[in-house]
Amino acid sequence: MAAELVAAVDVGMTVEQIKASQMGMKALGAGIAVGLTGIGTGIAEMGIGSAAVGAVAENKDMFGLALLFTVIPETIVIFGLVVGLLLLFL
Amino acid sequence: MLAPKRMSRLLIAASRDRMAPVVAELYRHHLFHIEEFVEAGAEGYEGFKIGTPLSGASEASVDLVKIRAIENATSIHGDDIDSAKTSTRTELRSRIERELPVLEQEVEDLTIRRSKLDARLKENEQKIAEIAPFLTLPVDLDLYRGYSGFVVFAGYVAHEVALSVPCEMLYSPGKDKSFIVIVAPVGQRSEVERALQEAAFQSVPVPEENGSPQVRIDYYAAEISTMKTEIAEIHQKLETVRTKHSGFLVASEEFLRAEVEQTEAPLRFATTKQTFVAEGWVPTESVDAVTDALVKATGGKIYVTVLPIDFEHDNVPVEYNNPSFAKPTQVLIDVFSRPRYSEIDPTLMVSIVFPIFFGLILGDVGYGLILLAMAFGLRRFFKGEEGRQLLDVLRNASISSIIFGLLYSEFLGFPIPGLKPIMFSRHLMAEAAEEGGAVAGHGPMIPELMVLSIWIGILHITLGRILGIINHARQDHGDHRTKAVMANFGWLAVMWGILIAIWSIAVIPLMPNLTGLPSVVSLVNVGGVIGAVLVIVGVLFIARDSMLEVVELPSIISHVLSYARIVAVGLSSVAIAMVVNFIAIGMFIEPQLENFTIFSIFIILAGLVIFLMGHALNVALGILGGGLHSIRLHYVEFFTKFYKGGGVKYIPFGMKRRFTED
Repeated sequence: MAAELVAAVDVGMTVEQIKASQMGMKALGAGIAVGLTGIGTGIAEMGIGSAAVGAVAENKDMFGLALLFTVIPETIVIFGLVVGLLLLFL
Repeated sequence: MLAPKRMSRLLIAASRDRMAPVVAELYRHHLFHIEEFVEAGAEGYEGFKIGTPLSGASEASVDLVKIRAIENATSIHGDDIDSAKTSTRTELRSRIERELPVLEQEVEDLTIRRSKLDARLKENEQKIAEIAPFLTLPVDLDLYRGYSGFVVFAGYVAHEVALSVPCEMLYSPGKDKSFIVIVAPVGQRSEVERALQEAAFQSVPVPEENGSPQVRIDYYAAEISTMKTEIAEIHQKLETVRTKHSGFLVASEEFLRAEVEQTEAPLRFATTKQTFVAEGWVPTESVDAVTDALVKATGGKIYVTVLPIDFEHDNVPVEYNNPSFAKPTQVLIDVFSRPRYSEIDPTLMVSIVFPIFFGLILGDVGYGLILLAMAFGLRRFFKGEEGRQLLDVLRNASISSIIFGLLYSEFLGFPIPGLKPIMFSRHLMAEAAEEGGAVAGHGPMIPELMVLSIWIGILHITLGRILGIINHARQDHGDHRTKAVMANFGWLAVMWGILIAIWSIAVIPLMPNLTGLPSVVSLVNVGGVIGAVLVIVGVLFIARDSMLEVVELPSIISHVLSYARIVAVGLSSVAIAMVVNFIAIGMFIEPQLENFTIFSIFIILAGLVIFLMGHALNVALGILGGGLHSIRLHYVEFFTKFYKGGGVKYIPFGMKRRFTED
């Protein structure tokens, strides 16, 4: 609280304004976390996915294994989601 | 349950003249999975040869090919037709002899005529395309050719051409490119060509036609339309054949397929001059029935015995053995891979856990009801077995979705009035939760939901590892067996060690609180020490089995955290539903209802459309999200702990008759 007050005096904002801007920062952080990890997952799945489709086209029995390989990078975006949710609600 | 059906290896030997009754009997029982005889290097089968087809094989094949051709031409599929056992064998045989040649001729004539018409149609369309560029020029087509002193250039240019040589030029400007025709004396050819080249000239051949272009195009268009009506007539006729004969065709296809399969069965047997030997697999429970039937069919002149199974070399075919409610889930396991014979069959567990995951993700009464209606409504379009099974899986999942919808108190994203969420609330807006009478001022209970999903992950993975221990104990031998079992135990120890260590440091809702334990060194208490010991022991066990596995250690955390998707994906679907409701009702419908004018009706209708479209989209996403993520949690996080798969499918010799009688 004291630190917030000092900060408020420093930049000429009320405590409410600072709290609101902190919420905004949290939301931005959550958005960045999910967005960037989503891009990461997408890039990682791009190569695996195209190879997996090729493998399945050659041999249908590969489907299970191919799906498994394709979804492995999905964990990255889940981490992003976890971080995002923690930021927003904890 | 939890294991495939027990199989026995059966050896059948008899004299060659008993082959036909034996084959017929095996076919009728639909239980015998034939182990194909391979001539080269078959141990104990020296001197045996592959058998020859029974009599009537080629005739039946020829008829079968004809029938399949007719079915192709009239697009009849057995799967689309409801089964009806109408015809007996003798009846069908005589009908095939009598009607098939006539029908074949008729369909063949029709299809040949159709393909001829199709070809001519294409030709005419081509001609129209050739004439079309000349349409804008007021010159008859025969005037473009037949000169000896002049050359004719026709084609597209990018811009108008100015020629210094004497010539006749027709120019018709177009949007992107313009059409030009130039008639010049032969002597000027090279100058004209050069000028045209500058204008990016693309030559167009002059069509071999006479008269005005419009008249010719009209003529061909008329031809095309008559051909189209003729083709439509042919389609009509094929459609008549289809409606009139589809029952007969599918029945005869089935009958002939049975004939062909039976007459060609000896190709999979080992034979000598006088005898034949067939090896194969029969469910243990049916061995007696099959043996008795074979003895009866051959008047006792047959030798049938059960051979011991050699698990090292034999590839035992796998047939599921599940209670009926778990049967539809088999299709999900087959997508991954069929279990091996000596392996635990996870179908039962998946059939229970998959709907629970689905419900946790898409817990909404409204969506559940929509999916349930879909599962029953789509039944009419899916007549094949796999489609039906998938629909049954969807049905179970949607029932679970309704149950969890009640627990979450959700209906199309709204809180159900008067019903408090019995489980943790997922309503994103605190006000919304209050309206439903839920915990006042409480929005979504994210931490609790998250911990719940992590708990699910911990338990699911622990179950997987325990199954892994059982599988290794069953399948492996000697030193490797102990090591593999210990390694699986090691993975469990590391996971629980990390958990205990975390619990001893931090307080987490819904998880045991070990921070109160007596402290050892500053932050580390007894719990922390136990956790650390478990982790070290676990890592040692893992390393003893395979050093490389140690690099996989972080996967413990990523796999457990991966279960957080149950909450994350679920919340995203709740969020979409709430946004749709807010846009449709809060922004479009409610303000208009407050001050109603005639114009409001349209806005309210637009709001309704948004409401329907939005929720339709969310249902589609819900199936994808709920289904794909639930099954992925099984495939990736659960199966990798114990399941290998790769079993051979049990394909008994014979068929499920749908249109004919035995």
